Amino acid sequence: MVDELLKQAKLALQLALDAGANDAVAGLSDGYSTSFTYRDGKLEEVKQSASRSLGVSLYVDGRYSNHSTTDLRPAELKRFIQDAVELTKHLERDPFRVIPDAKLFANRAQLDLDQVDRKASELNRDRGLEWLREMDAEAHADTRVISASSHLGYGYTASARVTSNGFSGTRESTGVGYGSSITLDEPGGRRPEAGRHVGHCHRDALPEPVTTAKEALRRAVERLGSTKAPSAKAILVIDPEAGSNVVGRLIGAMSAGAIQQKRSFLANKKGERVASELLTLTDDPLIPARQSSRLFDGEGISARVMPLVENGVLRNYYIDTYYGKKLGWDPTTGGTSNIRFGLGTKNQEQLLADAGSGFYVNSWLGGNCDGTTGDFSLGIRGHKIENGKKTGAIGEMNITGNVLELFSNLIAIGNDPYEYSSYGTPTLVFKDVQFSGQ
Amino acid sequence: MPSAPTLDHPFLQWFGIDEAIIHRVIAEAMSRGADFSELYFQHVRHNSLSMEDGIVSRASTGVDQGVGVRAVMGDQVGYAYSESLELASMLRAATAAATIATGSNALPPQAISLRATPNHYKLGRDWDSVSVTERLPLLRKAEAMVRSMEPAIEKVSIGWGDSDERVLVATSDGTLCADRRPMARLNISLTALKDGKRQSQGSSLSRRIEIGAFSDERLRELCKEAIDRTMILFDAIRPPAGEMSVVLAAGASGILLHEAIGHGLEADFNRKGTSIYSKLLNEKVAPDFVTVVDDGTQENDRGALNVDDEGVATEQTVLIDKGVLRGYLHDRISARHYGVKPTGSGRRESFRHVPMPRMRSTYMLGGPHSYDEIIKSVDKGIVAETFTNGQVQIGAGDYTFYVKSGWLIEGGKITAPIRDVNIIGNGPETLKNVVMAGNDARIDYGQWTCGKNGQGVPVSTGMPSVLVKKLTVGGVNG
Repeated sequence: MVDELLKQAKLALQLALDAGANDAVAGLSDGYSTSFTYRDGKLEEVKQSASRSLGVSLYVDGRYSNHSTTDLRPAELKRFIQDAVELTKHLERDPFRVIPDAKLFANRAQLDLDQVDRKASELNRDRGLEWLREMDAEAHADTRVISASSHLGYGYTASARVTSNGFSGTRESTGVGYGSSITLDEPGGRRPEAGRHVGHCHRDALPEPVTTAKEALRRAVERLGSTKAPSAKAILVIDPEAGSNVVGRLIGAMSAGAIQQKRSFLANKKGERVASELLTLTDDPLIPARQSSRLFDGEGISARVMPLVENGVLRNYYIDTYYGKKLGWDPTTGGTSNIRFGLGTKNQEQLLADAGSGFYVNSWLGGNCDGTTGDFSLGIRGHKIENGKKTGAIGEMNITGNVLELFSNLIAIGNDPYEYSSYGTPTLVFKDVQFSGQ
Repeated sequence: MPSAPTLDHPFLQWFGIDEAIIHRVIAEAMSRGADFSELYFQHVRHNSLSMEDGIVSRASTGVDQGVGVRAVMGDQVGYAYSESLELASMLRAATAAATIATGSNALPPQAISLRATPNHYKLGRDWDSVSVTERLPLLRKAEAMVRSMEPAIEKVSIGWGDSDERVLVATSDGTLCADRRPMARLNISLTALKDGKRQSQGSSLSRRIEIGAFSDERLRELCKEAIDRTMILFDAIRPPAGEMSVVLAAGASGILLHEAIGHGLEADFNRKGTSIYSKLLNEKVAPDFVTVVDDGTQENDRGALNVDDEGVATEQTVLIDKGVLRGYLHDRISARHYGVKPTGSGRRESFRHVPMPRMRSTYMLGGPHSYDEIIKSVDKGIVAETFTNGQVQIGAGDYTFYVKSGWLIEGGKITAPIRDVNIIGNGPETLKNVVMAGNDARIDYGQWTCGKNGQGVPVSTGMPSVLVKKLTVGGVNG
């Protein structure tokens, strides 16, 4: 399929140049997916998707615009691109808007990223339904279950991209994911809910479907009898599945766009300590068999391993061509791929024992963070930690603070990175965190 | 095939379809015994512009079109879509959707007739007729206004978007209806520098309105709002942590209704028994002065719809009437489950998505108290005034919303501005704890988007000033 997409992308690029663009970028993406939802003993939803769309970026006399369409009929497409070039002529000139430097396309890693597994994308429908029946049965293995819903999805995506200054690249990947969400009855009218969902580009990288449902049920049962604890300043232990919500706030502030627009609490901090020395973060696009791995980024820049934070010191920013030009900095890459952590030596059980008391958080409920100041306030769900162990469930509580202060209070890191997300976050332990509750 | 009257609507031509094509695709979707099916044709053209550092240097346009085919069997759904409107592609989608049913007793399709719809968003000018050279000056003007009003503003970023959407819904029970939906938005984001510190905030306006609605006066209000919201943050503190009284300021505080009540009353959750409100219908859940509605008929509102995405007329649905829980928000499937009329709440993000019960414009009617009275009654608490986002857990009923700015109340008086706190509460408990409601109800015109099962739809929300006796406020422990 990628060859066909590449051919179409080249045609679109030529249309843009013919219509008067000085430079242009064209990208085609295509994909298909199937999903099933099974609830309380029967199939509830079947969905099939197939999508193809075109995106073009145009550079016309120092002006820039980008456009997308799903109407790819040749005559319609030609008119669409001509109109787009015409529109661009009416915009304002922006001296910083140039096509990415062709030098950045060079030295692309020669590596098989191993992101295609036909066992994932071409799953047999009957086998899939069999899994769902097994998951559904397992998810109901408790008399308190009111409703359980299990989901399975799988598919394939491919894309091709070409630029008028010589870039050409294609990608393809498969994906399969499943999980269950479960609601329980609790005396007093509350209906606690929890779930577990996993996804990967390789079928064999995932746990068995029935194990996933069993874990979802265990988590839902664990939510029973949730209480609101008193407000306190205490230790916070974050589960690997929940960690990206706080780590993502730190990484979001590393974007050149945020820095140039004066909306980053990490501006002017390159080379400075921004976290406890336990924190080492690397952006690693070249890990095989990961959905977020890539050989080139969204601008075509060849992918490189990039240190972000080393022993607490900020090493790099995410810099794309446009904001790089505005800031006078060389581009690195515009966006994240996989986030790899420097790991500790202990598992979660040992870290909880070391913590002694405090709160363990395994999911969030709302909240936000101000990217300019780093001030945050987040709703939490999890458990109390008493005598070095997880005890009763807690909810309806918040943590409040500042991202830089939080990461300077990082006191331990686990050896247990999360496998099913681009953020391989291990268990994180912070001291002196402000909890609000009763 | 019934000998139907010739259908006539400009959108049929727009999508290149006719009654015979609709019949064939519906018949295919029903071919394995589904009891209902529907085709959702959609064409959206959107434009956006953004201005940073004084230059409008980024413009985007997009066209998205396709048809979603749904086959329904009881509460089971088969769904597929096609971006191509060629008959063969549509039939392929219909065949895939049909697989939800496993029989062969296909019902014969009904003759289709066009149903007229009201128009809740009449525009003097369609967005299709507006050129980019008419949009550009609005952004420049807004930037100049901000610059002239407040010298401490370091960065101004202005975002613009408008869209023109054509929808045609054809159902197996013989209805065809069309809707043309405009939308426009203007967002102003600011960063200010004062005494070496920076703060960012902004404002937005998004409704189903025409370009003429962005008058100088409206732009000035929006700029002033963005500036005031940003500058107040320099003096703002974090309130104490824990449970306290919360006064929800009129307007945008409707986010509380959306999270604490609205989602829990979407009938799909109740049909499945997964909402905390599942057994509370016709129960007294709030004081007498609390009446909450969800309304698709507010003129030019962001949440308004002439017809929902299942071809059902929209209405004003009463959720809580004088403190008593009266109704759910229904789509076709849940309405059939409960044996009631659908409420025109079946919505979807696009033709790629399955419709579900969703909110439109959710607001609470005014109450008996004045704002001053409400503030005076609070010994220790906060006023929540501007918000960014919220979330709810349907079953447990716990919800949150993030307060970007507000005020501290001590001894019945406002004493200091506050910022950046998350508030968390429980839906039914919050309703019981509403102790006062102001006579200052209004709908917020900001750009609210509601997310559910990965689908975003435009909504709006509104409220009078309301005092809730006890909520958990994120803050610092003394």
